[in-house]
Order: sequence, then structure tokens, then C-alpha cells
Amino acid sequence: MTAAGAGTQRQCIEALLDALPHRERIRGQDSEVSFDAAWELRAVALAVAGHQGGHYDWQRFQQALIAAIQRWEASESEVPWRYYDRWLEALESVLAEAGMVAPSEVDDRAHAVLTTPRDADHHRARRDPVTVDPGR
Amino acid sequence: MSTMQSPPPVAASYPRSEEQIAARVKALESLLIEKGMLTTEVVDRLAEVYENEVGPHLGAKVVAKAWTDQAFHDRLLADASAACQELGIGGVQGEDMIAVADTDTVHHVIVCTLCSCYPWPVLGLPPNWYKYPAYRSRMVRDPRAVLRDDFGLELPDSVEIRVWDSSSELRYWVVPQRPAGTDGMSEEQLAGLVTRDSLIGVGLPDIP
Repeated sequence: MTAAGAGTQRQCIEALLDALPHRERIRGQDSEVSFDAAWELRAVALAVAGHQGGHYDWQRFQQALIAAIQRWEASESEVPWRYYDRWLEALESVLAEAGMVAPSEVDDRAHAVLTTPRDADHHRARRDPVTVDPGR
Repeated sequence: MSTMQSPPPVAASYPRSEEQIAARVKALESLLIEKGMLTTEVVDRLAEVYENEVGPHLGAKVVAKAWTDQAFHDRLLADASAACQELGIGGVQGEDMIAVADTDTVHHVIVCTLCSCYPWPVLGLPPNWYKYPAYRSRMVRDPRAVLRDDFGLELPDSVEIRVWDSSSELRYWVVPQRPAGTDGMSEEQLAGLVTRDSLIGVGLPDIP
């Protein structure tokens, strides 16, 4: 992707993010978007991709996120507040409502992911360099 | 409006581990791709816009500390996972990290020959090219040419290049050499010079 393309894409995404509740949680003090973990970014990319692919209106996602946050607040849960937990909940509910992915499918697949050894083919530690190109 | 009921709230009330929640995101992505609703390229392209905003700054912080604190530098090379823990930077259990330090005569590069194992607690998300077969295979066969042709990094012929294969058990990353002319700089200023590419070994830190 060209730098200009990335810039335009970024503006599009940020316009979407600006429409969401708790946007200060997405945009830090320096107004850069920030993430603590890779899955958070992946979850954001999925939500935006589904919208850009025409599968749902952004407003629908926005409402789902508001609802997910309100549910968390109403539950007086002892689970610590984490914005992207609510984001994922909202995304799952939108995908279910759009008939794209049923909750049971996600449960089953997540179980499969967790029970498959990570990088199953690449589990053994290599303790020497795989290649050495000696100096001349 | 359809008569379909709203789906029940998904797990608002019980905590999930990072591993569980990451698995759930992965599950969603793979289902959407299988159903033809999204493509990997589209999701990658969106994630790429922000990939530099996850993580590499943590690696930069660790390197800047190593540059200014010899005792920490030594601990980092002895046990990178433990040294990172000192700074509150943690990985997932079972993911040991080894930091390899460049010298005047040895330059290190990391690769994952089979998939995309990457020290993400320190470096964030891997750039897309790190996952491409071309990088993975060519870096092993002819690292000097890949560094020169693909990354514009021309190393003196006298410098030995060592390529390290990260696996899910053991992940490598590079401590680049501190650039000349940075004597009076603070740790924070130094961290600003450390690029993601220099932590992978396909680039050098910025020069002030």
C-alpha cells in the first residue's frame, strides 16, 4: 500500500472510530490510536472490514457497542473494565444479528483454537542460528 | 425489523484470560474468511494502518535502558524474559525470549522459517512482510543479499550475519548497537531512535 493510500485508509477508519462511545479510550492523549495487545487491533480491523464490506451499517456497530458498555455497567460486574472486551462483545452481537456468525460457531471455533497447540508445526526451540554468513 | 431475538450478551459477566479472548478473535476471523465474507488481505490491510502502534515502543524502551545501564544490558542478554519483566513488559507463559546483541563484527537478524513466530510482547505485531514466504526462505538462504536488496541495509563484508529462527517456544529479537553521537541523550530520547526494523535486524536505529 502506498503511504497516501494508508493515510486515506487511516482517515476513513478514524472517522468511524470518532463516532463511537468512549473514543478517548481509543485515541490516547496524543490523539494516536493505541492498543495494548494484538488481538485488540485485530478486533478493530474485523469490525471495520465487516462494515466496509457492506455487511452492516457502522451505526449498528456503534449501537451494539453502547449496549455492550451499558450491560457491563448495569451488571456491576467485578470484572475489570476493558474497552476492547466490550468491543468484541459488540462485534459478536452484530455478526450474530446479521446472520453472519452464530455465537455457538464462535464458541466451537474458539475451543478448537485453544486446544490446538500454538504454531503446532513450530514448537521446538532452536538454540543456534539457522544461518551464519561469515564476514570476509 | 426481523423477529429474530437479540443475541444474549456475550460473556459480560465472567473474566476471560488474554489467551481465551485472543482465541475468540481468531475464531471470528477464521469463520468470516471461510464463509467468504472477508479476506485475509482486507483485514491485514486495515491492521497494517496501525501495526506500528502496538508494541515496538516497548522494545525501544528496553533497548534504550540496555544502552544506558550496563548491568541491565547484561541481565537482558542473560535472560530477556526476566529483564523485560523488570520493566513490566511480559509475555505469555512458555514464550521465552532471547535478545541477541549486535557488535562491530556480528549483526543479527530474526526470522520465523515456518510461520510468523514473533516476540510480540516487545515488538508488537509482525509487519506483513515478515509473514511472507519470500522473506522467510530468502533470509535463510542469502541474508546479506536480502538485507541489501530488500531493506537497503548494506553491511561491511567483514561483518558476520547470524540469522535466528524464532519458534513458539523461543523467540529472538535484536539489540542494535547504540548510534554514535548520542552520548548526552536521555533514555527517552534514545528510545525514539530505536526502530522496529532495527529490533528485527533488517535496519539500524535512527541517527540523531
